[in-house]
Amino acid sequence: MSLRVEHIVKTFGTKTAVNDLSFAMDEPGIFGLIGTNGAGKTTTIRCILGIMTPDSGTASWNGSRITRDSLSFGYMPEERGIYMKTKVLEQLIYFGMLRGMSKHSAKQNALKYLEKLQILEYKDSPAEKLSKGNQQKVQLISTLIHEPDLIFLDEPFSGLDPLNAEVLRDLLVELKNLGKYIVMSSHQMAVVEEYCKDLIILTRGKTVLSGNLSRIKAGYGHTNLVVGCPQDISQIAARHDLKLHEQRANETEYKITGDEMANGFLKDLLDSGIYPVKFEIKEPSLQEIFIEKVGAEQ
Amino acid sequence: MKQIMTICKFTFLDGLRKKAFIITTAVMLILVVGFCGVTALIGSGSGSDETAQEDTASQPSASEYSSKCYFADDTGKFADSTAALQSAFPTTEFIAATAQEADGYKESVANDGNISIIHIIEQDGKPFIQIITKDFMSGISTSDAADVLTKSYVSDILSDAGMDAATIGLIQEELPYSVETMGDMNLSGFAIGVLLTMLIFFAVYYYGYGVAMSIATEKTSRVMETLIVSAKPSSILIGKCLGMGLLGLLQFGGLIAVSAVSYITLVPGDFTIMGMPLSFSAFTPATAVLILLYFILGYILYAVMNSVCGATVSKIEDINSAMMPVVLISLASFYLGYMTSITASGSSSMLQKLAIYLPFSSPFAVPFKLLNGDIPASDLAISIGLMIVFIIVITAVSIRIYSASVLHYGKKLKLKDAYNSKI
Repeated sequence: MSLRVEHIVKTFGTKTAVNDLSFAMDEPGIFGLIGTNGAGKTTTIRCILGIMTPDSGTASWNGSRITRDSLSFGYMPEERGIYMKTKVLEQLIYFGMLRGMSKHSAKQNALKYLEKLQILEYKDSPAEKLSKGNQQKVQLISTLIHEPDLIFLDEPFSGLDPLNAEVLRDLLVELKNLGKYIVMSSHQMAVVEEYCKDLIILTRGKTVLSGNLSRIKAGYGHTNLVVGCPQDISQIAARHDLKLHEQRANETEYKITGDEMANGFLKDLLDSGIYPVKFEIKEPSLQEIFIEKVGAEQ
Repeated sequence: MKQIMTICKFTFLDGLRKKAFIITTAVMLILVVGFCGVTALIGSGSGSDETAQEDTASQPSASEYSSKCYFADDTGKFADSTAALQSAFPTTEFIAATAQEADGYKESVANDGNISIIHIIEQDGKPFIQIITKDFMSGISTSDAADVLTKSYVSDILSDAGMDAATIGLIQEELPYSVETMGDMNLSGFAIGVLLTMLIFFAVYYYGYGVAMSIATEKTSRVMETLIVSAKPSSILIGKCLGMGLLGLLQFGGLIAVSAVSYITLVPGDFTIMGMPLSFSAFTPATAVLILLYFILGYILYAVMNSVCGATVSKIEDINSAMMPVVLISLASFYLGYMTSITASGSSSMLQKLAIYLPFSSPFAVPFKLLNGDIPASDLAISIGLMIVFIIVITAVSIRIYSASVLHYGKKLKLKDAYNSKI
């Protein structure tokens, strides 16, 4: 199975919302679709799913053009929307039946996911009685109820507390292991970094970066040094021309030009009788890459 | 088709559980039963009135009078009129009074609807009758009292001129008359037709509004974002319209069924409207089916247009202004249909044809004419044909506009732009 998006262009009047966007998913996993607000992520997803017709370009699944009827896909939009006055289980069965399920199988799957996401107790409650995080879980179940092969999640973690975010993370891993193809849009770079093997970064409809995240990061080389140390090491760092990148509660992150720079700094620390509890040379974070790429475009 | 039926069922059940629907239905049914009950009470009440009138051949005693009237005559020409008044108003006690006394009683009249004053004064050499009551709804019947006094005055003049009593009686006697209409229209058909036209307008407007609200709510609450990836816009639009239509049919059908049962069980058999018995002979099975067909077609036409209105708004509070064009069309069409129906003889045949043929107005014009039997079969066939073709066209256009509008938020999309946009 594979998802191929080729040269999609979508304009609204004089504004180009998506400009020549292409990417591919040749194996199951989670694909990151990242961009600023108004970058064209939602329009891209709508064009791929056939909700909108692109001006040009195609989106195909296993070589066939994607339409509402041709593929079992799931889409969780960024703007959450469920029937507030309707009981949770009832509306999940409705959404399942709209995706071609029988009432019985829709109910079975709804109950399965309600239990998995730990909200089974609310099955007979109107959605308005649920917390925002739990409403979001209901929305997610409506996306997954018909067991789609291709899943689009637009900002799935927004509004979730750490406990619920953990539940969702577990579910994402489970779906990935089940061989699902997941396209996830998110502003939370840490989440994307954690789960997405491949990604694309959009700004104002234009692709500024795409490809395998590990390879992208490797291309930048070792640019960051994280040091965890209770003593004041700022003077030693200054001697080595280390530029402070971020000062956190228990550690400091510096910008480095290469491994030699970090090793020299470590030697100096040890010679001074300072033994850091953490010393990590690493590639730039996705957040940094995003800011660098998007900032340059804007 | 399965999707349409799923959406239809969900919309129907969702609407059925809404408080607004339950309360509206209950109020309407109570009103119908209440109206029939009141009619029954009036019927039994009027029966006892007749008995009372029959029993009043003899003069009631002072304690049986229900009202009183002070009679002051400054001219002295109405000395014998009290008896005539007493005969015409047997439940009113007529009490002779002077002009000063009559003036003094005015305060009592202002406070008590059962007291009246008749004061006859001289004006331009002729008697002038002043009748004073609390308001125009209470006290003595002014026109009847003036009529009795005028007859009494004329009778005295003729008698003084030497005319015998028998001749005077003949002169003042009103000749009996009857009115006979030769056309097909009868009062029952007219009254029921008017009522039905109003009911159809109300139903088409109310349920059409329901469709617009339902779609606008789904759009503004962003449920549409989930719905639109699960079902085609055409399926959503048609399913919604069908669901709300079924809800309307249920309510409308329930209303008619309860009305029929209430009429049979509560309304007296001899109930009349303006002296004419109520007849449902115009309700043949064919007429009933055609009226139902016009109700359904009318509903579909307006519901489809209203669904577009619902899809164009980004905020629920904008729904009324979005619906305004459709409301104006429906109001103008209703008045065209209604006026050409009730003023059939006065309206031009061209206007009549327009009301029957125009798909917007035919649901409001044709049912009345069906009940009153003045619509040729050929006109009926053209009207239904035009309506079906128009519904197909307007549905196709509406689906296109709906598809473009339903995921558009922010600045209102112009209908032309929505129609032309590539979705």
